[in-house]
Amino acid sequence: MNLKELNERVSAARKETEARGETFYPGPSRVHLAAFPPKERWDDWVELESKAWPERSERRYMLVPTTCFNCESACGLLAYVDRETFGVRKFEGNPEHPGSRGRNCAKGPATLNQVTDPDRILYPLKRAGRRGEGKWVQVGWEEVLEDLAGRIRKAIQENRHNEVMYHVGRPGEDGFTERILAAWGVDGHNSHTNICSSSARAGYQFWMGLDRPSPDHANADVILLISSHLEAGHYFNPHAQRVMEAKQRGAKLVVFDTRLSHTATHADVWVSPYPGSEAAIMLAVANYLVQNNLYDREFVRRWWNWEEYMAVEHPELETSFDGFEEILKSLYAEFTFEHAARESGVDARQLEEVARIVSTAGSRFSSHNWRSAASGNSGGWQVARTLFLVNALLGAVATEGGVFPNAWNKFVPKPIYLPPHPPRWNELTWPREYPLAMNELSFLLPHFLKDGRGKVDTYFTRVYNPVWTNPDGFSWIEVLQDENLIGCYVALTPTWNETAYFADYVLPMGHGSERHDIHSYETHDAQWLGFRQPVLRAARERLGDEIKDTREVNPGEVWEENEFWLELTWRIDPDGSLGIRKFAESQERPGERLGVDEYYGYIFQNSVPGLPERAAAEGLTPLQFMRRYGAFEIGSKTGALYEQEVGEEELEDSRTDRFGRVYTRTPKPASPNVVPIPAPDADAEGRRFVGVNVDGKILRGFPTPSGRLEFYSKTLADWGWHEYAVPAYIKSHIHPDNLNPDQTVLISTFRLPVQIHTRSANAKWLDEIAHTNPLWIHPRHAAQLGVKTGDAVRVETETGYFVVRAWVTEGIRPDVVACSHHMGRWKLAHEGEGQRQLMQTVALDHKGAEWELKRERAAHGYTSPDPDTTRIWWADVGVHQNLTFPVHPDPVSGMHCWHQAVRVRKAEPSDRPGDIHVDTEKSRAVYRAWLQFTRPADAHSPDGTRRPYWLLRPLKPAREFYKLPEVMSDE
Amino acid sequence: MELFRALAVLVEPPDRPGVARVAEALGLGELPEASAYTDLFVFQLYPYASVYVGAEGMLGGEARDRVAGFLAALGRDVPAEPDHLALLLGAYAGLAEAEGASPGGRRESLRRARRALLWEHLLSWLPVYLDKVERVAPHFYRRWAEMLRAALDAEAETLGAPETLPLHLREAPAVADPREAAPEEFLKSLLAPARSGLVLVRDDLARAAREIGTGVRAGERLFALRSLMGQDAAGTLSWLAREADAWHALHRQRRAAHGAVAGWWAERAASTARLLRALSVDDAAQDSEDAGRGRREGA
Repeated sequence: MNLKELNERVSAARKETEARGETFYPGPSRVHLAAFPPKERWDDWVELESKAWPERSERRYMLVPTTCFNCESACGLLAYVDRETFGVRKFEGNPEHPGSRGRNCAKGPATLNQVTDPDRILYPLKRAGRRGEGKWVQVGWEEVLEDLAGRIRKAIQENRHNEVMYHVGRPGEDGFTERILAAWGVDGHNSHTNICSSSARAGYQFWMGLDRPSPDHANADVILLISSHLEAGHYFNPHAQRVMEAKQRGAKLVVFDTRLSHTATHADVWVSPYPGSEAAIMLAVANYLVQNNLYDREFVRRWWNWEEYMAVEHPELETSFDGFEEILKSLYAEFTFEHAARESGVDARQLEEVARIVSTAGSRFSSHNWRSAASGNSGGWQVARTLFLVNALLGAVATEGGVFPNAWNKFVPKPIYLPPHPPRWNELTWPREYPLAMNELSFLLPHFLKDGRGKVDTYFTRVYNPVWTNPDGFSWIEVLQDENLIGCYVALTPTWNETAYFADYVLPMGHGSERHDIHSYETHDAQWLGFRQPVLRAARERLGDEIKDTREVNPGEVWEENEFWLELTWRIDPDGSLGIRKFAESQERPGERLGVDEYYGYIFQNSVPGLPERAAAEGLTPLQFMRRYGAFEIGSKTGALYEQEVGEEELEDSRTDRFGRVYTRTPKPASPNVVPIPAPDADAEGRRFVGVNVDGKILRGFPTPSGRLEFYSKTLADWGWHEYAVPAYIKSHIHPDNLNPDQTVLISTFRLPVQIHTRSANAKWLDEIAHTNPLWIHPRHAAQLGVKTGDAVRVETETGYFVVRAWVTEGIRPDVVACSHHMGRWKLAHEGEGQRQLMQTVALDHKGAEWELKRERAAHGYTSPDPDTTRIWWADVGVHQNLTFPVHPDPVSGMHCWHQAVRVRKAEPSDRPGDIHVDTEKSRAVYRAWLQFTRPADAHSPDGTRRPYWLLRPLKPAREFYKLPEVMSDE
Repeated sequence: MELFRALAVLVEPPDRPGVARVAEALGLGELPEASAYTDLFVFQLYPYASVYVGAEGMLGGEARDRVAGFLAALGRDVPAEPDHLALLLGAYAGLAEAEGASPGGRRESLRRARRALLWEHLLSWLPVYLDKVERVAPHFYRRWAEMLRAALDAEAETLGAPETLPLHLREAPAVADPREAAPEEFLKSLLAPARSGLVLVRDDLARAAREIGTGVRAGERLFALRSLMGQDAAGTLSWLAREADAWHALHRQRRAAHGAVAGWWAERAASTARLLRALSVDDAAQDSEDAGRGRREGA
């Protein structure tokens, strides 16, 4: 036997197979979690029919990839399309997806439940009676489009652009709808982000310019999570599998979570701090690194903006790094472990152990905070800022195993059209009180409308349910019922929700396997592009059919948003006179409306490096390639881009200022990647910021005003928040100092790992696993109250109370109670059908501002085309606690601070779990009180603008509209 | 290293997609029935290092931890079954390929790692394992075993043997002497190749029953062996001694290729044979006493 020849023979066979785009080595199944069908068999995959067991009857499937839409992680799915019935039989993971690598959480396969949900909305509906009365008539898309296009056209023609608003929950796409709004010229984007993640974003943005972390967990030696990130949160599935890989390698996992979450159970060190004390702990860790010289001096010297800090804050001292280090040593000296222990209620020795572990990580320190503590507390943005301080001290920034700015691990391909920045500013979403807010002050909209700050003519919600999701839902109901404040409300949603009941139009939109989107997320140190698609459209096209409109393959008249928005845009400006139509026009067939095939075909052909070549190698067009595989990796291991040298060719007539910032006359080179990046200001003569001079070399640096990591944020200092310009500890609104002796803290922000806000309510598999949200309460606390598991308790907030069942558990601290926000879904009695698996039927009443929601009927089995609905065995679906929370806008980040100071007591005999009582007058008072904490642009803007131009902002208006009006109005 | 990857694929069921293509590239001819695969790898010869080099003779345990530790030390992700043959061959190919693509210093350390993997976790048991495969497997897998053996031998020659024996072997205790330990321990240790120096699969025990002239009881190997001993202890012991002799001879033949490792296996089989002979004498004496008391009527 000649081994060499044998080797060569195998080699040749492999190359030949791979040249055909097929897989040679299937990969040993026992090494991976599962064996995936090899991609060359995706057209005709045979499995045994499970329901025919024990008979061995074969069924043939076509496997079509798409992207999960049940959270923002955008994991790959493979739809098993039955070749006989053309129905989707199941969803499994897509092994070709670089982020999720074929693995999914429970919510991915449950997409099937959403597709086959017997209660889903299949046709456009129009309100027939009063708003919220529950009377609907089925209407055609034609009527809907004409009505809405007419309204929006009229608003634009009458210069009421700011009365058109689009309010989005999870976008699940990268900028498509923002560009539609830009095409209309409206500043009408309104996101949910200020009730979600904007606090952590602020903490990151003030450091590195970009507002999201991209931790390289897989390569870290120490991982610190201030979250329950193994079970929930942004990119949890792609991240969790990489965290576990690191752990298997021997990495240490430190988890800060007040609750004993699933994530906490996987930690090497679990820290359960008093909520809001996290920043104090992180400063103690930082102080330990500083006092013991355990930080990366070279990194700090090269990359922190310490020179600027010294020059501005200590002009009396000579600017030297040694001098800065001395100040650094004194700055955080008070943040001892003992101090942190007092604030957090955690043993100082455990905190020191955390610091010691962190100090061993070097530049392989990955950390993550997204919601959790940042979103719960006023000043919570400092949790992310102090956490990143530790990364910045260790030099664990864009290193292997460190934390990257997200944009470096993300690819947003340039689309066919880039409409200009809108020429206006909308104060309903970007009010002057919050010049540094990371996102729209969306959750204050009812209060602003009641204040008379403006009105909304046409209001769209999409994948969003503000009545249920936002705090202070009754105030939302109040304004939604007032047609003078909201002229026409359009709910774009696949399923019924609490807000849609108050709509004028309910328009059915597709689930994850029924719509197009592209996305790219920072799941690891790579850039990839994922493609969501209507799988039946792709399957039919593979068989040679031509599909012009996704409605042809979707159930009923369910549409997808891309085609809807393009069609609406086309109709708003039928003759092109408003300059809008051109952004929805086909380039291949001028005079016709742009279609999704052309839209995505253009992007994949022109804006994704490497994709056309890769597709051609398999004899496919780029669009066919993406329809076949669902994802493409553009590159990996981007590394420390800040260290990249700026080439001579980009330094025409360049200037360097006293802090080493370099400006150039060379225009910005074109890039196919249009991921939003902050734009530090030009110099006085209009040169563009291009990099920083570090030790004589001109390097890319960071997209911050200083070009470096901003230990010192001059932006914060200049805009009225001087005391927080360096990472600091801000005592939370629920700090013990701010609580009455009989109050305790309620944590309300955590997810149930298998549910996802509004979208999963009718996923029967998920509902069976998780359908209620009891109040976590410590045995000691429960004993004081005389309460045991299953008893009803009243939880009193500032504006009312809710009734919930107790769950007595040692998984929570004695001074804290916790209740997941994922439950308590309800529908009104007269809604009849609606969603039924996870919703209780309620009576909603109010006398003036006093609102009451009472359970009339628990969840129950019912007859439907799906026999499983008769088998619903659960009745209790929890409580909608968010209704009882007033708004708590953080004066800096604009984030709603979720944690509540509450009183817990035994329920009254007449109380039933799920009952709610709220006084919206009290909500108004709390809103006004928090408004007093702000430092408005009118009084604090250093340059007469509304907001620092360099900060990220969705749908950024043109620069001249950043200027505050010369004369203040009296409003 | 293509060959190692290809041979690894064949440790998977033949009806898995892709296996046929690899078999064809290797010129192995037509694939066997799935049942032949099951009989070989699922019933007779589990393709896991821990079964052959672990003190328990079973999946897992310290032997598997040593393999896992080795992979972890290489900075690799440790899968749930780190000592599966397919994975070990894949890891070996991966190291060789990384070595080829690395600069000088790193290449040298990767080569050291590869040599360690070869001797510690492949050659410590595979020659013995393949000997058995060649005796019990159908034609297709016999060809596969020959190829794998040839590939391993070529690697052994290229990389040369280290001075010390593999840790697995150094750590493995000998067969438990039933005069000092519990009889159950003795039987278990006979079934652990690293302790006894012989590989006994189900078919072997059936063959033993035929040759001794006792009945064979279906069940796990320990149960079958216990039942053989219960029926005819002396006969079983001498059958086992003969089996150990055969293995001793077989291991000795491998000394040219695998030096001290084969020597270790030979010595282990020889010492088992000695123990079994000693016991068989004792047992024969015991038997005649028992016969006197009429305990073996009907045997």
